Amino acid sequence: MDVTIKISSLFRKYTDGQEFVKVTGNNPMECLHELEARFPKMKRWLYDKQGNLRPQVWFFVNGQKISADDLTKPLNNGDELFFVLAISGG
Amino acid sequence: MTRGSTGNDKPNAVISKSAFNIVAIAIEAIVKMLSKRELARYERQILIPGWSKAGQEKLKKAKVLVAGAGGLGSAILTYLAVAGVGRIKIIDGDKVELSNLNRQVLHSDKDIGRNKVDSAKEKLEALNPHISVEAVKATIDENNVFDLVGDYLIVDAMDNLPARFLLNQVAVKKNLPLFHGAVYGFEGRATTVIPGKTACLRCLYQGVIPGKIPVVGVTPAVIGCIQATEVIKYILGIGELLTDRLLIYDGISMKFSEVRLKKDPNCCECK
Repeated sequence: MDVTIKISSLFRKYTDGQEFVKVTGNNPMECLHELEARFPKMKRWLYDKQGNLRPQVWFFVNGQKISADDLTKPLNNGDELFFVLAISGG
Repeated sequence: MTRGSTGNDKPNAVISKSAFNIVAIAIEAIVKMLSKRELARYERQILIPGWSKAGQEKLKKAKVLVAGAGGLGSAILTYLAVAGVGRIKIIDGDKVELSNLNRQVLHSDKDIGRNKVDSAKEKLEALNPHISVEAVKATIDENNVFDLVGDYLIVDAMDNLPARFLLNQVAVKKNLPLFHGAVYGFEGRATTVIPGKTACLRCLYQGVIPGKIPVVGVTPAVIGCIQATEVIKYILGIGELLTDRLLIYDGISMKFSEVRLKKDPNCCECK
């Protein structure tokens, strides 16, 4: 599936400033892996030292928040995947 | 009959109670009533469709708690005060530091070392003498949060997730709305929680980026104004709230985007 990943401003320093990156993948996790392969510096924000996906990363497919269980559910051609880091500054 | 009582005790008690009620109603009416000076102060906003004098009276009667007198709190408090929210309670346990002053615009150089709540109260009362501001110097914890909130609408202007979760917990337990905002650098987020109806903070957060938070003052100003807007709309009963939606402000691209949230059926707080 051709999927567009929208990159939040906090991650754009790792994607050479690109706001949208096109990838191919059958589900959000596959898309994320392709993105990491192209922009490996992003990985430290996405995974903890044990290699588990950090819980403070939120995923949205076509603007709807999805849970961790949905990360391996199939995507459709043309879907948009958006992920952001949870923040707490005041 | 007890010592010192008269035969007229009962009728007198009834009369006294009635008189007390009349006085209480009169005081409430006076408190609700807007003075000529207040009407002049709020003239421009009263012109907004759906607002009117009745809306302004609702604001005057409203009780709003702002948890945090920092970057978000500075913007929220300022705009709730000038809008005429009648009773504002500020909670913050910190003192003003030099490194706060790039964003916490309620405080200035001369306030360094003062309690943030005292500094904020002074500025707000100068901005609008028609409102009541209560300053509570306290660090929110599980032992005090329930009493501190009381029956106030809750504005989350905190800078840490544990305190935000405590406010969320009380909001859910007391069925009080919670107006949430958070910032990092040039990016900010906001959403409004209506317990029982919408996703709560626990449905959303499982953790946050660790470490010292970079931030430029304009970001909490933008997000704080959005939170204050939500509070005002909620009190007035107008417009569409930011419920089950997360507004994402990206100051670098100067774009606002929005994503949809939903209640987590397994949420430990609101399921």
